[in-house]
Amino acid sequence: MPDTVLTEEPLQFGEGGRLSGILTQPGMSSGNVRERPVFIFLNAGFLHRVGPSRLYVRLARELALMGFSSLRVDLAGKGDSLRRPNLTNRQSVAADFEEIKGVLDSHLGGVPFVLAGVCSGADNAIRLTLNERRVVGLVLLDPVCFPNDGFGVRARATFVRWTSPARYIAGFKNRFRALTTKDGWTRNDPLDQRDFPTQEQLRAALKSIREREGRVLSMFTHYAFRGYYNQAGQLGRVIGVEGYHQFCTELFWPQASHTYSLELHRRRIIEEVKTWAANYIHS
Amino acid sequence: MHEAFFFGPSDQQLFANYHPAVRGDGRVLTVICPPLFSEYMRAHSVLRELAVSLSEGGQHVLRLDYRGTGDSFCDLSEVGVSDWVEDIQLAVREGRELSGSSVVRLLGVRAGALLACKSAGALIDVQRLVLWDPVPDGASYLQYLRDAQATLLEQHFYLSRDERREAKQEYAGHRISDRMVGELGALDASAYSSVPKSKLHVIRTSSENEFPVQGVPQELVQTAYNWESDLENKIMSQQLSEQLIACLTLS
Repeated sequence: MPDTVLTEEPLQFGEGGRLSGILTQPGMSSGNVRERPVFIFLNAGFLHRVGPSRLYVRLARELALMGFSSLRVDLAGKGDSLRRPNLTNRQSVAADFEEIKGVLDSHLGGVPFVLAGVCSGADNAIRLTLNERRVVGLVLLDPVCFPNDGFGVRARATFVRWTSPARYIAGFKNRFRALTTKDGWTRNDPLDQRDFPTQEQLRAALKSIREREGRVLSMFTHYAFRGYYNQAGQLGRVIGVEGYHQFCTELFWPQASHTYSLELHRRRIIEEVKTWAANYIHS
Repeated sequence: MHEAFFFGPSDQQLFANYHPAVRGDGRVLTVICPPLFSEYMRAHSVLRELAVSLSEGGQHVLRLDYRGTGDSFCDLSEVGVSDWVEDIQLAVREGRELSGSSVVRLLGVRAGALLACKSAGALIDVQRLVLWDPVPDGASYLQYLRDAQATLLEQHFYLSRDERREAKQEYAGHRISDRMVGELGALDASAYSSVPKSKLHVIRTSSENEFPVQGVPQELVQTAYNWESDLENKIMSQQLSEQLIACLTLS
């Protein structure tokens, strides 16, 4: 799509063109964009490459206005991309990433990467970072975290959970709805479906970003509050990576939902990512 | 195999996926008019699979993202119903040029059904419109979006007073323009009744929402999902897909 400020090009690539994605590039006036890291947006759960309520589309276009290219991609079996039969999810994602690197190399040269994703997109970003030296940035929206000792994480979360009147009202309404709708529902609880990285993998991924002099932005919402995160700064404390605050920005928004289902939160996270990219992601 | 592309005015480009007919004479082009907002995210996969099945069965298929939705350009807050109606007309024209098909069928899903019927008035070559769970009219759809917003607000326990006030301006988690609100509210069931009944076929998954036009062929398919609750669940139903394919391939 030709434009004075940005261009978008649908790509079908990889073996037999099985993968689909959209490459967004800044317009010609944005300087030497080939040297800047390219953002790669990874699917959030079952959602296709546009992200929750088009979050990835809007981020891609806003970042292009700042001079960053990006690829929002459907991994195999998601959105418009074909499944890879006979592979586990991890094997499939790893194979996808090789093909993603190939197509980006052919369009942009050997640029570094910033991996970004919500939910399972964050999980995949963490694992891919371990084996790819070109990853110099992570945008992790509701990544995994782990309760830390001595803080009473579960007790505190449980207290908040069971003392919120709004929760009871919503619970009664949901129960009523469940009783009055047809049976056979498939409830997609992301917590049940995620393939979380281990604490060791998360620590190793962050360490490798630090060694590459890269940057990490992590954001936790109400979703993480349900089970494993209830204090601002918890990720840094749990992971215990030296110099964490020098290269990691950690945000906690318990008021926001996992998929940023309110526009006001989507606008806010877009601004946070833009500010972070402007401050920390350079050539 | 499909082809993804942008088309339309250079400052407001539309995104579409084109699935060429794998076999047969490719006489028929089906344009899929998706639902809106979270319903589109939930139905994306089933609509893609439907397009693949139809193309394997010998039809050309075009899947469209309206302006301000999916991968198409524009901000949702800048567009109105009239833009989306025009988008469908553009998509039909583009699909016909790509495919060379002489017969056009439209599949409209939820609010997409209302838009498809509204756009069909300017499309003399539309042979059939299959409507999957059509919304009754624009006003009731707006109310549905407001109700969805109220549900969302119930689920956001920790919003500040200012955030809650701001979020009350949204419709199912989206900011839409006053123009959109006005145009949706004015979109009544005449959009359906203006289409000859012989061209319409309705597939419903709930016996609750009556289609507002009498005498239109209707099928009721029992499925395990519901558009109006569990807003983040993926929609999938083999039985429904088979029924849609049957309606869209009927000669």
